[in-house]
Amino acid sequence: MLQSEREKMMTMQSHQTAYVQRCSFARSGATVFLGHLDLMTCFERACRRADLPILYSQGYNPRPMMVFALPLGVGIETRCDYLDVSLNCPYDADAFVKELNAFLPEGLRILKSKAIPEPKDSIMSIVTTASYRFEAKGIRSAMEKALSEETLIVTKMAKGKEKQTDIRPLLISLSQASNGDPDSVEFYAFAGSERNVRPDLILSSLVKYCGMDPESSENTRVIRTGLFAGEYPRITPIDEVEVRPLQ
Amino acid sequence: MKQYPVPLSKSDLMSVESPARYVGGEFNAVIKEDMMEELEKTGKTSYVRFAFCFPDIYEIGMSNLALQILYHVLNESDFVACERAFSPWLDMDKILREKNIPLYSQETKTPLCDFDILGFTLGYEMCYTNVLQMMDLGKIPLLAKDRGEDDPVICCGGPCAYNIEPMADFFDIAMMGEGEEMILELSEKVREYKLSKNTDHPMTRAELLRNCDAIEGIYVPSLYDVSYFPDDASAKAAGAPARGAYVVPSDDGVKKVIKKRIIKDLDTCTYPTSPVVSNLRVVHDRGYLEVFRGCIRGCRFCQAGFIYRPVREKSVEVLCEQGRQLEKNTGFDEMGLLSLATSDYTQFPELAENLLSTFEGHHTSLSLPSLRLDSFSLDLMEKVQSTRKSGLTFAPEAGTQRLRDVINKNIKEEDIFSALRLAFMGGWSTVKLYFMLGLPTETDEDVLGIADLAKRIEKLYFDIGRETGQKMRRLDITVSTSLFIPKPFTPFQWEPQNSKEELIRKQRLLKDNLRSRNIHYAWHDFDSSVWEVVLARGDRRLAPVLLEGYRSGRFFDAWDDHFKLEKWVEILEKHGLTIEDFAREFSEEETLPWDHISVGVNKKFLLSERHKAHAETTTPSCREHCSGCGAAAWGVGECFAKRNAASGVSADGTAMKEGDA
Repeated sequence: MLQSEREKMMTMQSHQTAYVQRCSFARSGATVFLGHLDLMTCFERACRRADLPILYSQGYNPRPMMVFALPLGVGIETRCDYLDVSLNCPYDADAFVKELNAFLPEGLRILKSKAIPEPKDSIMSIVTTASYRFEAKGIRSAMEKALSEETLIVTKMAKGKEKQTDIRPLLISLSQASNGDPDSVEFYAFAGSERNVRPDLILSSLVKYCGMDPESSENTRVIRTGLFAGEYPRITPIDEVEVRPLQ
Repeated sequence: MKQYPVPLSKSDLMSVESPARYVGGEFNAVIKEDMMEELEKTGKTSYVRFAFCFPDIYEIGMSNLALQILYHVLNESDFVACERAFSPWLDMDKILREKNIPLYSQETKTPLCDFDILGFTLGYEMCYTNVLQMMDLGKIPLLAKDRGEDDPVICCGGPCAYNIEPMADFFDIAMMGEGEEMILELSEKVREYKLSKNTDHPMTRAELLRNCDAIEGIYVPSLYDVSYFPDDASAKAAGAPARGAYVVPSDDGVKKVIKKRIIKDLDTCTYPTSPVVSNLRVVHDRGYLEVFRGCIRGCRFCQAGFIYRPVREKSVEVLCEQGRQLEKNTGFDEMGLLSLATSDYTQFPELAENLLSTFEGHHTSLSLPSLRLDSFSLDLMEKVQSTRKSGLTFAPEAGTQRLRDVINKNIKEEDIFSALRLAFMGGWSTVKLYFMLGLPTETDEDVLGIADLAKRIEKLYFDIGRETGQKMRRLDITVSTSLFIPKPFTPFQWEPQNSKEELIRKQRLLKDNLRSRNIHYAWHDFDSSVWEVVLARGDRRLAPVLLEGYRSGRFFDAWDDHFKLEKWVEILEKHGLTIEDFAREFSEEETLPWDHISVGVNKKFLLSERHKAHAETTTPSCREHCSGCGAAAWGVGECFAKRNAASGVSADGTAMKEGDA
């Protein structure tokens, strides 16, 4: 077959029905140091080992259809991130969780899953807000000071160039869940494709403006504790968002 | 599986290039929890703790099949616990040194000095200095003679172990040949040694090494005396032996010749169908099926072609079953067939067909390296590569038929052109051609032959376009040259290496004659090839050189950016040696530093092959005709496969006698 004929055939394939599992997961331990692409590969391979009926994308290089709500940076733990896994048949959510967990590397764990119709809005597009927990000596007062500042200008690398950016508008507020412990703090920040702030930039602003020492900023334990849709304060955890079906 | 904490702060991990290399936690990694509990309670264990060390970075080490095979073999046994360790990259190396943190294992983060055995796999000479880095960071004395009763036993294996002389002062033990059985026999001896420490008659390290010498395939360098005799006519007249490096047992109790080990039946030999799956993407990110060992071809420059003899195949059934398990246990979406020449597998069409149907509908692709191109393999590539047309690769190695005959590379121009005709008609437009510069007897005519071949391929492509009236894509021919390095245990082990100046001249000559918008020329770094020959054909005089080089910060020599030839030459000369001592032509009379090692192919055969090379005479493949190299002495594999009557000599008693080196 000629290359051109083959290309034509590939684009003619029809749409496949997706049975989506929307699941939440946690990561800790060794897997915290994986970049986003490696993390995706870990999930893909675990699904294949578990022999789950995953749906593959069409085209030249078929990939398992998995969408993560928001990439997780290297060094960030999570207690509750989300991904949509497309299957080619209906699947029991509890069985999905159990089977996948048996094949994930140590440190990655599916918490919950539910079957949803194929969504009209990508899981990525509905994320607006994230909550984080930072743990380091004296972090609470530094974070409180940061939130009292008008601006927090930090240097960000964008396309190989240094860029000054104000991250203060991207920090929302301390969380209710945040207790009085001086060495930990929980807060909300904007997240997602429109407005997003990386935890390492927040930490560098704490060094620059709030008297945090650089070494303890670098050693701060960073945990994402949740991802939400909606406008703060009326935010909803991603897996509780009502799904608009594609059709 | 319990996770053991990394002895590094988060900021240290976050400051290095790829922190995931240093944290472990991979799927299918093995931790023997009962051992860890025992250690926690009593501080001791009766398990033999084995650290499998790969002297390069994690992503390269995790792509290594030897690591996966031996890790599996060791952990399958009930008395060994094997963990992995890799060379930390320069950024992590710096942190470990500054903070005085010993290099640790991936699984339980145990410092290397707390293991009973360290086993290094030596796949390429340029990793030698990384062996020293790992031992040093692992808090282990570098020289074997400086190690005491409580230090680990340091051993090595792999293709470079066959001439371990340059590294002999650093290793306690070198293993010759395939390790599946030998490594357990060695571990058993270490276990006896370890257990004896709790008795009234503890065994000494010296006794342990003696016991290991009794194992076939194991070489204990410290039990041999070495003397060097220069090329000195007057000394020779006075009765001195011929030039050479003589490695002789220090007493009668030590074996004179160390014979390599092989696995006779690969079908029944254990194979890792649940290899450790890296969380991080590695160099060769796929599952491997080892199809056969050895090669029937006998290209005269190729060390692998001789040291892995005799050819032994796995059956189609075993391979398909292993493939099925491998896919299931790893989740890899690509399976690679591994051997020196996939097309030489006798049942290749059946294997390919069966594997394709095994993986059908799983979105698992099959990677088929080292295929000989013909209509069958092109058809197969169409099937396995689903859509994308990747490049076609040919390795003619030399530019003229004359030189191809010299090196015994059985590839004919007619074959290349007929395969390319088919491929070009089928839409392929990327061709890679691999050659070597500096081969024995090479003339400028041979060098220009490379350019000529590339240009005729270019012409063929456009001729086909004209003939068929097809709209052709842009053609991309890459000509790639590496440099000939004479290697031990090949017919070219005596050959000189061209000087750097001569190689540069030849490269320039080729470059000037390859000017075309469709042809790219890629070449290999000269400097590292110059040093590689020193290490490949070196002897024990190099130990102080390597030690001084390492001490002055020279390691990661396999990485061109870090390799500095001039520094090494400086150190070499300081120790009274030159590049020429190792790059020169070795005389056929001289005793070579590796003559006390037997790979099963005898020296007489290698010598006759060398003479045939200079006479431009080829040798048929093992499948066509047994040439009596000596490997038939094992009584297995290709040497004893049924040949058709026309093929003449079969492996018989004569070959067996010759095989006994």
